[in-house]
Amino acid sequence: MEKKMLKPFPSIFRQITEAAKGLGLEENMASSSSSGLTFKLHPLFIVNISDHYTRIKSQSLPPPSTPHAASASNGATSDSSSPPQQPPPRVFGCVIGVQRGRTVEIFNSFELLYDPCTHSLDRAFLEKKQELYKKVFPNFYILGWYSTGSDAQESDMQIHRDLMDINESPLYVLLNPSINPAQKDLPVTIYESELHVIDGIPQLIFVQSSYTIETVEAERISIDHVAHLKPSDGGSAATQLAAHLTGIHSAIKMLNSRIRVLHHYLLAMQKGDIPCENSLLREVSSLLRRLPAIESEKFQDDFLMEYNDTLLISYLAMFTNCSSTMNELVDKFNTAYDRHSRRGGRSAFI
Amino acid sequence: MDIEQKQAEHIDYFVKQASNLKGSSLRNLVVEATSHPSLFAFSEIISVPNVLELEGTENAAFLDLLRMFAHGTWSEYKSVASRLPPLVPDQVLKLKQLTVLTLAETNKVLPYDVLIQELDVKNVRELEDFLINDCMYVGIVRGKLDQLRRCFEVQFAAGRDLRPGQLGSMIQTISDWLSTSDNLLVSIQEKIRWADNMSEMDKKHRKGVEERVEEVKKTLSFKKLQTVSRPTPSSEGMKRSFPNMV
Repeated sequence: MEKKMLKPFPSIFRQITEAAKGLGLEENMASSSSSGLTFKLHPLFIVNISDHYTRIKSQSLPPPSTPHAASASNGATSDSSSPPQQPPPRVFGCVIGVQRGRTVEIFNSFELLYDPCTHSLDRAFLEKKQELYKKVFPNFYILGWYSTGSDAQESDMQIHRDLMDINESPLYVLLNPSINPAQKDLPVTIYESELHVIDGIPQLIFVQSSYTIETVEAERISIDHVAHLKPSDGGSAATQLAAHLTGIHSAIKMLNSRIRVLHHYLLAMQKGDIPCENSLLREVSSLLRRLPAIESEKFQDDFLMEYNDTLLISYLAMFTNCSSTMNELVDKFNTAYDRHSRRGGRSAFI
Repeated sequence: MDIEQKQAEHIDYFVKQASNLKGSSLRNLVVEATSHPSLFAFSEIISVPNVLELEGTENAAFLDLLRMFAHGTWSEYKSVASRLPPLVPDQVLKLKQLTVLTLAETNKVLPYDVLIQELDVKNVRELEDFLINDCMYVGIVRGKLDQLRRCFEVQFAAGRDLRPGQLGSMIQTISDWLSTSDNLLVSIQEKIRWADNMSEMDKKHRKGVEERVEEVKKTLSFKKLQTVSRPTPSSEGMKRSFPNMV
């Protein structure tokens, strides 16, 4: 049951990986803001929001004593139509980061309690958290707030206005927790508030902005790692193996093409088309001297030992599998044929 | 790489100097170049026309010296020391450094004994000092010293000037490398195909077994309706389906 709950989690990871790999994936929104700010998001805070939402969602499920309700509420998308399902809870939190000139970089986030009666966020807690974060990260300011859902709502404007006294133009980050496997981009939208004149009344409305993903090396490694743990379509071992081999294949192919370029260059130099450049030749010769890269005896020993260990373990696993199947077969055979030998002892198969 | 970048300005400087000077004044230049602590590449200087003119004149010895620094080792120098001008200690040091580079060309693991003999040092301590101070800190070699097995494992060595014939062998090495990696790519693709095929076959097998189970279940239910007597284990399908049925 929990596995299905955590579904938004790995898909977010995969999307972030894809976005971060491109390092600069531009989301072209329909309406762009006119403030000219460029937003850079770090994966950490997106994962925080996703994690917060997942936790709240799994905590708010009815207890397993009502299995029907529980299984009904296990619908993959947020709004399922079965009656005991409540609309998924919205989570709220604060977004912190750095603003340098026209670039806003969002690093981290923390959760906030939302009071549905007064439609406001818990101010005391927010201030306390802000103080704590200031001590550790003196550069970080509160840049805005986040929430989950599919669209911005009216009540959000209220919260937005509340936050305006901390930051004159806060950001509203919205995460759409419904899983859409066809969607390749991140389900994150950033809204800014702008003063527009509607029907002669100046009103604050939300306008979308575009953003890019920016990662620190540590973030990229961890997200890459988690994204590869669970394959996207839950494929079998064969697809995992194929994916792994494909990765190696492309890496070697890149190396191959670069060596080919060197090869052509040297050939041309030999024929005389290109004047000899000695420093380059020296570098190439030092490069070639690194081959063969792994040939020492010690490597062979270690490699063969590991290879043998792997083979042994898989053989052992196969053995165990076979013997357990055999055991089951014998049990079933006995159960099936026992009636023939009711009298005079058991003539079991084994 | 960094060695080449560091050398680049020195090379330019010496080449400019060499094109301005002629004849005997090049002697000093040669000595200066060969004792310069960061300069390990001499083929550019050798190819300056003024320097090449020295061939056959009284300063030919200096041209030979320059060539020795470009391609030769310390032991080669010792064998022809009489013909070449004497070396100052800086030059001796440099020639020894270049010797290490040449040795690293052929083997990746250099035993201490060979190094001691080639470099004319007396013991392991001096050898290690030389390697550490004058080779690794300068940056021309990178590697690990293995005292227990008394060898020096080279991971990276800067390139020396190329002899004329070396270009051909380098090309050969590169083409070998290319063909090996091509083969590797092909075998990786085959493995990927094999993995896919295997999973396909496995799925088909599973489906086939399940279909047979369904069949036998149906025949069994018919048989139950027809006969109440005990089921006979005669049908082949029943026997094979028992493992999966219950």
